[in-house]
Amino acid sequence: MATLEIKNLTKKFGRKIIAVDNISLEVHDGEFLVLLGPSGCGKTTTMRMIAGLEEVTDGTILIGDVDVTELPPRKRNVSMVFQNYAIWPHMTVYENISYALKLKHMGKSEIDQVVHDVARMTKISELLERLPTQLSGGQQQRVAVARAIAVSPKVFLMDEPLSNLDAKLRVSMRTELKTIHASAKATTVFVTHDQSEAMSIADRIVIMQGGKIVQIGSPEEVYEKSADLFVADFIGTPPTNFFDVELKKTGETLHLVHPHFDLSLSPKNAALLQGYDKDRLVLGVRPENILLANEQAKIMSTTVLVVEPQGSHQVIAFKLDENIIKMVAPAQPKMKTGTTIHLNFKQEALRFFDPDSTLAIGN
Amino acid sequence: MKSKTNKKVIKAAKETVFYLFLTTLIAGMLLPVYFIISLSFLSTREAYQYPLPLVPAIKTDMELGYGERGYLLSVWDRIDKEYQTVLDTADLEKMEYYIKSQLGTKITEEELLIETSRLENSDEESIFFTKPRALLNNYDTFFTVTRDAVPALIRSLQIAGLTILISLSIGGLAGYAFARYIFRGKDTLRFSVLFVRMFPGVAIALPMVFILAEANLYDEPLGLSLIYSVGAIGLTIWITASIFMGIPVSLEEAAQVFGASKFQAFMKVTLPLALPGLAASAMYIFLGAWNETVAAIILTQFKPTFSVVVYQTLLGASGQVNLAAAGGISMAIPAIFFTFFLRKYINRMWGGVKV
Amino acid sequence: MATTKPKSLRKIWGQATPYLLILPVVIYYAIFWVRPVIAVIIGSFTDASGIFTLQNFVMVFNDESFFPALYNTAIIVIVSVTIEFIGALFLALLINRKFWGSSIFLFLMLIPMALPAVATGAMWMTGLTAHGWINSLLYYLGFLAEGEKIYWLGGLQQNQLKLLALVIILDAWQVIPSMMIILLAGLQNLSEEAKEAGYVFGGNFITVLRKITIPILQPTIQTAVILRLISAIQIWLIIVLLLGFGRLPVLVERIVYYHEEVPGLDISYQMAAGYTIIVSVIVSLTALLYLRVSGAFKKEETV
Repeated sequence: MATLEIKNLTKKFGRKIIAVDNISLEVHDGEFLVLLGPSGCGKTTTMRMIAGLEEVTDGTILIGDVDVTELPPRKRNVSMVFQNYAIWPHMTVYENISYALKLKHMGKSEIDQVVHDVARMTKISELLERLPTQLSGGQQQRVAVARAIAVSPKVFLMDEPLSNLDAKLRVSMRTELKTIHASAKATTVFVTHDQSEAMSIADRIVIMQGGKIVQIGSPEEVYEKSADLFVADFIGTPPTNFFDVELKKTGETLHLVHPHFDLSLSPKNAALLQGYDKDRLVLGVRPENILLANEQAKIMSTTVLVVEPQGSHQVIAFKLDENIIKMVAPAQPKMKTGTTIHLNFKQEALRFFDPDSTLAIGN
Repeated sequence: MKSKTNKKVIKAAKETVFYLFLTTLIAGMLLPVYFIISLSFLSTREAYQYPLPLVPAIKTDMELGYGERGYLLSVWDRIDKEYQTVLDTADLEKMEYYIKSQLGTKITEEELLIETSRLENSDEESIFFTKPRALLNNYDTFFTVTRDAVPALIRSLQIAGLTILISLSIGGLAGYAFARYIFRGKDTLRFSVLFVRMFPGVAIALPMVFILAEANLYDEPLGLSLIYSVGAIGLTIWITASIFMGIPVSLEEAAQVFGASKFQAFMKVTLPLALPGLAASAMYIFLGAWNETVAAIILTQFKPTFSVVVYQTLLGASGQVNLAAAGGISMAIPAIFFTFFLRKYINRMWGGVKV
Repeated sequence: MATTKPKSLRKIWGQATPYLLILPVVIYYAIFWVRPVIAVIIGSFTDASGIFTLQNFVMVFNDESFFPALYNTAIIVIVSVTIEFIGALFLALLINRKFWGSSIFLFLMLIPMALPAVATGAMWMTGLTAHGWINSLLYYLGFLAEGEKIYWLGGLQQNQLKLLALVIILDAWQVIPSMMIILLAGLQNLSEEAKEAGYVFGGNFITVLRKITIPILQPTIQTAVILRLISAIQIWLIIVLLLGFGRLPVLVERIVYYHEEVPGLDISYQMAAGYTIIVSVIVSLTALLYLRVSGAFKKEETV
């Protein structure tokens, strides 16, 4: 196991296309780091550069303090689970797993030992003599993971490994990957575009957009303290609701004025906005932070547009002008389309963004 | 219930019509092939008859009587339905040779002696006897009598083998580059198949003679295979590129990540997976080299290829259609054999080819 | 990190890889194709003593069989490529239906492609003579009376159109399979869903073929047609095998004629070279025209 450090990494395709733009990050020993972002954000390119499958245009990659930037993949001591698994179809499962060990000149009995160990860990002991074509998607996935952990790499790379599985299997494999990670304690970089997958599996999440890193943080941090509008929108389902509001001062109190509501801020929130000198901002409110209120505590009233019951809770959608706003409420009382509801915001969870720079205000 | 059975009947009728149609189509397309095969089994005498017999005879009915110069040999004509006199000789060796070469039937001098003594001992004017046809006689004759047939066959195999080796190694490398890399001149290379074909092959055969003579390769199998490869390489690039594109890059990348060099990854992963497709392209190249005649005529002198030998049997002074047919069929057999395997790889070979 | 590091060996090596891979092909083409082609080009622009002249082309244009050859070639190309394309597409569609026995059917249909030119030559030569198997067959089937014969390859009075038609049919017989396999490969890669969607939205077989299958198949069709077009212009062997030289002149037959049949003449090499250049120009222009019309160049820009 080792740390992974990326310094000022840049990747250009041709002259014009900049896939990865001067990013730096550090992955701690044994950490499970997720690179998250929409397709084309540079996350896969970053991972491929770590693996050595893509040449680095500029910058350095260090694995356990060794500069591997110029090394071919085989000398980097990393392993990888590919999106399409990349199980070699002409080799049995056993051969797939043992091939890398053979290349490392490991002894025959030792190889056998390792293969059986990882097969047990990934629950494919009965499949060792089969050919990949005889395996289901989930089984192939396990083989890919087994092959990757067998080499006990310094860094373990996973490129959207779950995206080819069906929804149910995907969720259960998440848990298993987490368990395997816990027992193998491998420094892991995991690429995905699925934010809920990232949230549930990561120690830390790196959110990328347009080749740049937007935010690095724990799942809680990126969720609660989203660094900008993009992250606030990208993380969480349903996503954060945004309101364009005007900032007004009446006496000592700060007000956020919207055509549909006038919110007077708590002193704590007001303190956050102290250095902010523009008169407009974007207010971000997570769906669960819009609260049902009684007549007195409400800041606005509206009628329910659609209700999506989720069992444990319900998602209520309503319309403010042309914008659909979604909120999460307890399962009871049951809401119906057309019901009038009174709402308030949870003050301590409000987020403020600069409409020009899109960055969060405060922190 | 009734409509169900009706539907079944209609379906069966449709299928019958469909397969009837297919059979007609195949019969129509392969009729010429049938005749050339049939011709290759006909005796020389029958091969020049009109109308031509539809099926080769499997036996020869002969009549032996007394002639002016010795014995009179007559043979049953299947078309005219009568015995027709073909030979009048006392020389049994000559008769044996005639029966073999013209009637495609094997008989020994001893057997003829037995028949003649049977005739002498009988009161009849003539006696009848039947011998099975030596069906492969034309093939036998083609290979034994035709000058050079066997060495030419071996040369042709050598040439085809060398052409496969040259085109597949050189074209395969380019095909791999084509499938895996973006590079300058890729489109030019892609169109090279067309460029090479745009210039009539026969036209450059003559300058080729000088180039080969320079390299001491004129009239050598290697020289001819070098020429054949010019045409074959372009298509090989297309086809191998298509094959390599069908193998996910990630398989190779996985091997690299797990400790293999690029070369090892190619040898251990991509090559074995490409092998069936490459074998199919090898067969394709084989067909081209094996069947080629024109350049071979121009570029060989004392060491003709098999196709040249067949061509000479067909058009040369010694030409005999049934022998030429036997030669042609012998040539076609390996080609058809390879086509049988080739058909499964059509998609892999041509699936990724785009102009 | 404003300064770019000097390129490492691995990087240079990595970027050079594709060029190293195509290097053998380039060298090979240079030696075995470019050189002889240049020799022919030079030959076409020089006289017997090696002095520059355009006289060779003048001689070609004044050759009395030049325009007949051009005309015959044009007819063969237009008619045969059309017929062969339709036939090949039909067979490809048929085989792609994957009925019981389709694999064997495919194999049988490929046999004409596998037959060597000499074998087909022998086949048609023995078939088309007055005593050949075609007349025999017609006789057995009752189409010909006893003693009656059809002179396929022309009696005394030559009928060029008949010969052209004959050549086109024989050529189609041999060529359709190789065109079919390209189209078949394209069809096999076609998603069934696209076609099914066509049927779901009310298309019948013909409209689905025209509006969905053929447009999606377009790149494959281009490949098949361009290859065929290029070789159709260069047809000659079957003609010479059946009819000898001069009976039905076509362009490449003229090249071979001057090369092989009249090599004694002073001007024969120059004539052959002149014809060769003209054929190559015609082939290139036709190919370019076809690719332009079919839109092959447009797509490349987007790739």
